[in-house]
Parts: sequence; C-alpha cells; structure tokens
Amino acid sequence: MSVEEVLSRGAHLLTVEVRLLWLVGTLYMVASVVSLSGLLTGEKAGYRAPHALVGLTLVLHTGVILLRIFETGRAPFQTLYESLSWFSFTSTITYLFVARRWHRVALPCFFVTLIASCAIFYALLGRSPEAKPLSPPLQSWWFEWHVVVAFSSYAVFVVSSAFEATYLIARRLMRNRDHALGLTVEELRPFRGMATKLVIFGFPMLTFGIFSGAAWANEAWGRYWGWDPKETWSLITWTVFAMYLHAQSVPRWRDNVASTLNLLGFLCMIMTFLGVNWLSKLLGIPSLHVYAV
Amino acid sequence: MRKTDNIRGRLYRWFTSLRTSVYLFALLTVFYIVGTIFPQGVDTESYRQAGGRFIGAVELLGLLDIFHTPLFYLVAILLLVNLTVCTWERFQGVRRRAWRESPDVERTYSFALSCQETEEVLEEFMKKNRFRPVSRDEATITVEKGIYYRYLTLLYHAGIVVCFVGFFLTGFFVKEGLLVLKPGEPVAIESRMMPEIRGWLAKEGPPPFSIQLDEFRTEYILSRKLNYPEDGLSRLAMALGWQDITYTDEERYYPKDWFSSLRILDGGTTAVEKTIQVNDPLRYRGYTFYQVGFEERLKLKMDDKVFTVTTNKKKKIDELDRTIIFTGFRRGTLFRPDGTVEELHPFVTIKELTEDGKKRPVGRLHLGESIEIGGKSLYFEGFEETSILSYRYDPGVWLLWYAGFSVFGLMALRCLGRWYMLRFRIEKKEGRTLLTVRIHSRGLMADAQRVSGLLSAHLERFTG
Repeated sequence: MSVEEVLSRGAHLLTVEVRLLWLVGTLYMVASVVSLSGLLTGEKAGYRAPHALVGLTLVLHTGVILLRIFETGRAPFQTLYESLSWFSFTSTITYLFVARRWHRVALPCFFVTLIASCAIFYALLGRSPEAKPLSPPLQSWWFEWHVVVAFSSYAVFVVSSAFEATYLIARRLMRNRDHALGLTVEELRPFRGMATKLVIFGFPMLTFGIFSGAAWANEAWGRYWGWDPKETWSLITWTVFAMYLHAQSVPRWRDNVASTLNLLGFLCMIMTFLGVNWLSKLLGIPSLHVYAV
Repeated sequence: MRKTDNIRGRLYRWFTSLRTSVYLFALLTVFYIVGTIFPQGVDTESYRQAGGRFIGAVELLGLLDIFHTPLFYLVAILLLVNLTVCTWERFQGVRRRAWRESPDVERTYSFALSCQETEEVLEEFMKKNRFRPVSRDEATITVEKGIYYRYLTLLYHAGIVVCFVGFFLTGFFVKEGLLVLKPGEPVAIESRMMPEIRGWLAKEGPPPFSIQLDEFRTEYILSRKLNYPEDGLSRLAMALGWQDITYTDEERYYPKDWFSSLRILDGGTTAVEKTIQVNDPLRYRGYTFYQVGFEERLKLKMDDKVFTVTTNKKKKIDELDRTIIFTGFRRGTLFRPDGTVEELHPFVTIKELTEDGKKRPVGRLHLGESIEIGGKSLYFEGFEETSILSYRYDPGVWLLWYAGFSVFGLMALRCLGRWYMLRFRIEKKEGRTLLTVRIHSRGLMADAQRVSGLLSAHLERFTG
C-alpha cells in the first residue's frame, strides 16, 4: 500500500472509532440517567435496566479499545484521549464485577457511569484522537505494566468512592426508616465494607504503580524521583489512602473520618490523573509527563 | 516502657500510635501540595520574573525548594522514627501473638462423643483442610492456615523503613550531572565537573575514566497532520456524519528514537562500547549514563557573513532586520507509513516571527542549498550535533528497588492472600460435649463463612 492508502485507511478507522466512542459515552450517560430515575421510582427495573445497559455498553467499549489497539499496534493509553477512554473502561468493568453482589443498589451505578461518560466526553470534546507513535521515553516494557496497574487502581478507587458516597447518603436517609437506596440497615455495614475492601485491593496496585513509575523514570531519565507534579500527586494519593487504611484501625476514626479520607483519596486520584495537567499549565510548572498533558 | 508515665514513656507511646502516623502523613501531604503549587528548584529571581508573588514568604519558608528544607526533613525523619518504633513494637507483639481480636464467626456444636473422640474428629478436619497446629492446652486447640497476616504487615513496614534507608543513601552519596558530548571528543568523569551535585557528602576525586561519543543519530516516523476540528460543536457534527476525519498534506516527523554510540576510555584503552538510547542506558563501574536529549547548531551564510544558530531558539538576523526561528532540524533515518525507509537529506524548517508574535512558515532549507528571505539568500553551510547525557552514581538505588518491590509483594500478599485461625474449645456440659469454634480470618480472599460451612459439614455426622 502507498502512503496515501495507509493514511486513508487510518483516517477511516479513526472516524469509525470516534463515532463509536460518541455512542459509548452517550450510552454511559443514558445508564446514569436511568439509574437516577430508577432510584426515584424505586422500581425493580430501576436497577436492572442500567446494569444491563452498562454491560451492553462495555461490549461496545471493548470493541473501541480493540480497534484502537489494531490502529496503533500498541497499548491504548499513550495520549490523554486514549487514557480517558481506558479509565472509563476499567472503571465500569470493575463496577460491573463488584456490583454482582450489590446489583439492587443503583446509586453507585449512577456515580460510576456519570464519571465514565464525563471522561469520554472530555476525551472527545477536549482532546485530539490522533494516533501518534510512541515517543522514545514511552518505548519501554514498563509502559504497559506501569499504566495498566496504575489505572486498575484508579478504577478500583472510583468504584470504592461510589460505594462510600452511597453509604453516606443511605446512612443519612436511614435515620427515620430501616431501608434506603436498595439497602437495609443490616446491609449497610457489609456494603460499606465493600468500599474498604476495594481500597485494600487497590492500594498495593497503586504502590506498584508508583514504584514501577520510579523504576521506569530511573531507566529513562536517570533519576527515580524528581518531585515532578505528577509524581508528587501520585504520592499524595498514596498517602491519603494510607491514612484511610490506618484510620480503619483507630476506633473513633473508623466511620466518618475514614469515609472522608476515602472520598478525599478519590479527589486526589482525579487530581493525579487530570488536575496536575491543569495545575502545571495554570502555574507554568514544567512536567516531564508532558505526553499526558 | 509503654506503661511508664514519664516523658520517655509518653514519647514512646506517641511514636507507637497509629494516630501519630496519620498526623504525620497529613503534615507531609501539606508539604507535597505546596511543592506542586510553587515551582521547585528555581531561583527567586526567575520566580519573580515569571510573575510569582509573596516573594518574602516564599524565600523565608524555602517554598521554591520545599523538599530540601529542614522542616520537611524533620517531618520525614519523625515519620521514619514512627514507622521504625511501630515496626519494632509490633515485632514484639507478633512474637508473643499478643493480640486478642474478636472472631469473624463463632459457633457452638453439641456432640454425644467424648472429648477425646471430638478431638479426633477435629484432627481429621484439620488434616483434610491443611490447617497446622499453633498451640494446644487442656481445653483449647488453636490452628491456622496461610501466612500469619501480622508477619506480612510487619515485613512490609520493615521494607518501607529499608526504602527510607535507600533514599538517605541516595541523598548522601549520589553523584549526578549532565554531559554535553561532541563526536570524537572524550570527556573525563570527575566530580568537579558536576554542576548539579546534590549528594551531601559527595567528594571531589580524581577522574576515574573518560567517555567519548563516536556517533549520534536520530530516527523519525513520518505522518501527517490530522484534519480534526477544534471546537466541540464541529466534533459533534463530525460524529453525526457531517464529514469524515482525513489527513492533510502537512508532514509531521515524530521522533522514533535517538542513539549515541559511546566508548568508555579507562586507563588509556577502550573498556566498553555501547550504543545507548532512551530507556537503554550504559552502566560502568557504578555509573549509569542516560540519553536525555540532543542539541543542534546550524552554520548559515548570508551576504558572505557566516553565523551559527541553535535550533528552536529565536534569532534576530541583522541583515534582514527580522527574527527567525530555525525549528525542526531533521537528519537521520525516516520510517514511512508504507513501510519504506529512507535516509534524510538534512534540512531545517524556517519560521518568521511576525509583529503580533505569531510564527509564519517561510520554508524548508536543505543542507548545501539556499532559500530567499526578504530578498536575500540564506545558505545552509553545515551543522554540529551534540548528544546530551545525564550520568548518575547512586549506591542507594538497588536497596530501594529490592525493598520497594518486596514491599509491593508482601503488601499484595497481605491484602489479597488468605489467613485463617480457628480456636476450638472443648468442654463437657450436662453429659454432652460442647465444641465452640472461633474463626478469625484476614485477606480479601479469605471467607470465614465458607470455612465455617466446611466445618459444619464435617461435624454434621456427629452432632444432633
């Protein structure tokens, strides 16, 4: 094939991919709205429909991810456009896995699908879908390991915070009744326990993400830690979740303090992923993680 | 020491408290956040010129280098002490198995069997499910399965202490700096050449060896600019089928890699030869040499006047009375999308800086050729490329890696693995044998209810 033909085929695939991703983002948004309306009506279909929709959308999203891999011939998380799509994909797949036991509770579904659709619309409206070749620092086997594990931890933290927020709302609603949001009083503790379990699951992954990032930086840039804004915010996220886990062992902090720390950890994670780019631009602080900006 | 109420005792209790850890973590987080708000490693003057404010406070608190301030070190050292003391305290507790925790499941079974027979039934259960005995007295049998989770917790906390030691070794003994290498010109590695020494105890010494660049080359991948709208509404229209995405004719050269062929000269002979690239450094006698970048200087001629320019920097050319930017110097191998490969004839893209600060493309100038700018001819006579390496001697890094990845492994095992402890209490009551079992479990994979179910199924034949 000539250069023209190769580029024409690439452009065609990109068009298909972008249109499918619009569809995926829209379906996540619809699932989010359906979850919320189900909560308001309190009907059985209120929790079944959004979960079925998320499952269907995930199949489509898997297709989009595979198409991207086929187009670029590499793992699909080099640019922020790709990372946002990957982030929403891993978050929803983690949610569906966890929701098997708590499928009657629709509010976490609302939170997760809302975050997923926002991430996708930000990718589509704010970033370019251009498939660029891997820049030299990214050409390392750490690229796949570091990013996959770090993003898996992000996904787990998204779902954990969705559970934590649901727990806090449900607990408040249960002041005058014995059930709320699809949960009974007896189920409240184990439901909250799921949020804790998710953090326990995600924390070692985040630890690996930070260490593998340091090992990679040492190999590529000749230093393992440079207090780059991205590195520092990942350490902040780690520290906040470490505080959360330690707070679980202090009886007086186990409840409200720990819940606050979990939600704070989620915000720090979002800051690490997206906010740092904004902060670096706003304050003019140079970052070596420019490929993600 | 824990129970004494003097200052030492109180201090010890403060350091062994989990609350102390949380407070210190919170304090460190404040430092971290400040470190991402203020640019780090820049001097006050640059900060002032960039529009920075609160200069007095910034200078006083060392906010432009906050991670090297005594206050930050103090908090970090307090956390290290807290971690070490907690680890030691828990080590003693683990040895004694001093903790008494409430069980996840507690059940009582009633048998018509004797105590001896009940013990035999339990032995059978333990053997079948691979539980190992921990302790035994007249009335209680304790067994467990999996690695005792407190050992794992203890070990990964100890691993974090070792990581700190690695950090400190790096801080005390690291030697690092930048090297700008020209082909064929060896550079001696000696400490007085290190403008960026950060190691507190790094000493000057004789040059142990030299490093020489034999060749520097670059590789590029060809692509084209994507025709994709900038505004959201057009993007939405595109998604709805308004038009397809296409590529324009504007070429893009993406760097594929940079290579430096290096030679280490030690004792007058070549000790090592290696071509390095990003992510593939050269290691020699504890030093590591990394490819971090390159710089090009172009030799140009206008009106018989020869001058040199550095690429990607603005250059005011007197003969033209305008500012020119020589950007995107390309030389080396080009990989095309159709799979073909070609050697590039060196060229540079020229842009003119307009009065309103925009860059206006002028054209592409190839080596040995001329281009007309403002009615005058600019000739590209030659170029010089230098490879920029960073080098580092860091005795703490290996300790850090071993400890760091051990921390991850142990933490993963602690969080995900399974640990069970079963305490059986056998007693005689009203002619029957009562068996009380308390099941303790830890780890995400552990399921105390399942073990309880297994035990109930095993005892079913004898109960009732």
